[in-house]
Amino acid sequence: MRAGLLAACVLLAACTVPLDPPPSGPPVRPDEVPRSGGTLRLGAAEDVHTLDPAIGYDTGSWAFEQMLFNTLVDYDEGTTIVPELAASWEVSPDGRHFTFTLRPDVRFSSGRALAAADVKYSLERLLRPALHSPGAEFFAGLAGVGDYVAGRAPEVSGITTPAPDRVEFTLAAVDPLFLHKLAMPFAAVVDREAVERVGDLGFRRQPVGSGAFVLAEWVEGQRMRLARNPLYFRSGLPYLDGIEVTVGLSDQLGWFKYQRGEIDISGVPSAEFARVVADARYQPLLLERTTLRTQYLGLNCAMPPFDQAAVRQALNMAIDKQRLLELIDGRGVVATTILPPDMPGYDAATPSYPLDPAAARARLEAAGLGQGFATTLWASRDEGSLRLAQSIQQDLRAIGVELALKPVDFPALIEAVRHPGMVPLFLLGWEADFPDPSNFLIVLLHSRSRGTNNNAFYANPDVDRLLDEAEPLLEPRRRLGLFHDAEALVMRDAPWVPLFHPVSFAVRHPRVRNYLLHPLRPSRVETVWLAE
Amino acid sequence: MAEVALRGFGSRQRSRRLFAAGMVIVGGLGLLAAAAPWLTSYDPDVIVVAHYTGPLPPGDAHPLGTDTLGRDVWARLAYGARTSLFVGGLAMTLSLCIGVTVGLVGGYFGGAVDTALMWLVDLILTMPTLLLLIVLAAVLPPSLLTIPLVIGVVGWTTFARTVRGEVLSLRERDYLLAARALGASHGRIMFRHLLPGVLPGVVVLAALGMSGAIGIDAGLSYLGLGVPLPTPSWGRMVSEVQTYFGVAPWLVVLPGVAVSLAVIGFNLVGYGLIDLLGERRG
Repeated sequence: MRAGLLAACVLLAACTVPLDPPPSGPPVRPDEVPRSGGTLRLGAAEDVHTLDPAIGYDTGSWAFEQMLFNTLVDYDEGTTIVPELAASWEVSPDGRHFTFTLRPDVRFSSGRALAAADVKYSLERLLRPALHSPGAEFFAGLAGVGDYVAGRAPEVSGITTPAPDRVEFTLAAVDPLFLHKLAMPFAAVVDREAVERVGDLGFRRQPVGSGAFVLAEWVEGQRMRLARNPLYFRSGLPYLDGIEVTVGLSDQLGWFKYQRGEIDISGVPSAEFARVVADARYQPLLLERTTLRTQYLGLNCAMPPFDQAAVRQALNMAIDKQRLLELIDGRGVVATTILPPDMPGYDAATPSYPLDPAAARARLEAAGLGQGFATTLWASRDEGSLRLAQSIQQDLRAIGVELALKPVDFPALIEAVRHPGMVPLFLLGWEADFPDPSNFLIVLLHSRSRGTNNNAFYANPDVDRLLDEAEPLLEPRRRLGLFHDAEALVMRDAPWVPLFHPVSFAVRHPRVRNYLLHPLRPSRVETVWLAE
Repeated sequence: MAEVALRGFGSRQRSRRLFAAGMVIVGGLGLLAAAAPWLTSYDPDVIVVAHYTGPLPPGDAHPLGTDTLGRDVWARLAYGARTSLFVGGLAMTLSLCIGVTVGLVGGYFGGAVDTALMWLVDLILTMPTLLLLIVLAAVLPPSLLTIPLVIGVVGWTTFARTVRGEVLSLRERDYLLAARALGASHGRIMFRHLLPGVLPGVVVLAALGMSGAIGIDAGLSYLGLGVPLPTPSWGRMVSEVQTYFGVAPWLVVLPGVAVSLAVIGFNLVGYGLIDLLGERRG
């Protein structure tokens, strides 16, 4: 029977479908120059959630918001802040006053000139409690926000417009991240007249901004079309005539459509990844970018036995991260610390835990758990997460820890981990909003973040003190030094098992030029062009 | 499981051959499940490759290759037979116990009792089975027993209806009249005198119920609601690797074939039994 089966299998193995070639198109020539025209065709698994920059807080919404709107400042191809709507800016020596001078040539797609009052209006709109913006918290540090939110003041006193092309911000306390916050799509400048005409709810579907593109058509659940904004302030840009988004393309379907030449950018499904990177036809089309992300196994420090540091350390020494990396096709680097390698303040020498199951057992023994114990790992229901979960399950069984796996939908997972005493172990990832260690260490590990994003319910007063001291510091050396000390303490306490830092991969249609993946944001398309 | 019209294969020759074929398949399945530890040296739950570089094709070390975690597929397939038979068997037994009892009681007592019980049966039959199963499987804590319990508790209606029908036709027979005249208790009449009469039909239903339960288990496992991970289950094996169909078709095809064979095997046995038992009775 075995021989028969083997024969049948060899036959089946012979049926393996060879990798289809990528779509054909013009190869890159050294002398080529950008050309205008053409439509970039993109795919999305789900409909865009919203196009109102005050509301969207997900990659899908941000991708299109940043095509339709502008912010005062933005990132370059990396994480350096560059001017956008602002021509220049000054920061007072005490770090609490920012004065921006706007470009004179910016107009909304409606034709009206963009002025300082629009900047003020957009931020005050964001802070209005009735709007329930998830971005409001980032601007709560502006002077006078408390009075404005409570209805005691008609405007935010910390935002003033001394001239039509000048806007000044006053902060209640020093915030080294203020410029980064202004670079978030939340701070995008919206057309007040359009908002007042269609209302806050209507604006989610009928946005008007100053961006490189305008919304041309949105058939919900099916497709979205964006067209070039002829009034865009950067002359000659965008190169593209428009963008067309097909909704409802799963990763697999998007890949097939890409291979047939029907969409221009696609991810690479796990099943095909090894073959694609090894294929000379695909290699020139691959896009790759390290991002500021960490995938981790969270250990709930409020739930026994994970209230004991020795148990948490044991788990850190028991998990084979190299294999986890192999299971995601090697798309990333093994994580030994909390901060990802591209984050300022990252230090590869931060104390960490090498793989050592024997030592892990010894720690459990020392914690009085030599006979092992049983617990539950919550993970997102998708195949990728469950593969990682099963690998971890096997590693922990080797040190006597029996894991039951609980696969749940991702939104349910995010909700569940916020309840203390509910989820003992969980698999999650975090992508930085800002290139600053505080975005990991304070947001995820400060004791005041318990109930929001400190899902490990980790609390150490020494760490809190270091983080509080570092948070307002402007001087980078001292700031990063304190964050580093805090990270070392966190690693010693081991509320997480850092697993890996993923790297983003995509493939482009051969005709697509200048499409770059960004470490913090969805790709910008205003400088993308299509070769003939 | 759907209502089945209890008709066999027709000709006697053919039905014997098909019954035999069914028995061979079911026997092979049982053998695979029982002898799994001797058929493979690998633990089905353990990653056996030193470095994962994608599923390995069938070869000497791994006769059916390795899966998308680097586990031995042959081991998972063999131990998966245990899961299928366990889930199918337990679900079917549970359905059988509930269904036969309800059918006997309803058919024997008739009247208001019968009306109430059949109303319950109708109620369960009107519910969309798959949705009901999905809800139950999602709400109950995951364990090896959850899925068979859920399938069993939802799937007993066919047994109840069939048994009730048979009882209705049996209960006016002379031997029952005699038992009643001799003062036998209700319980004794139902279980000593009626049950043997309906047993042949029940055996047929059990075989068909088994195939139904295995099919439903595969479906639920495919949807990610089956037995807890990493227990090997054929339905999950298909869903885990479906995107690898172009790269490693054997990974998808083999567990799919295994589910089909199991369902076909029990079906052949069931329909074969109808003919064989019909012959003896008629």
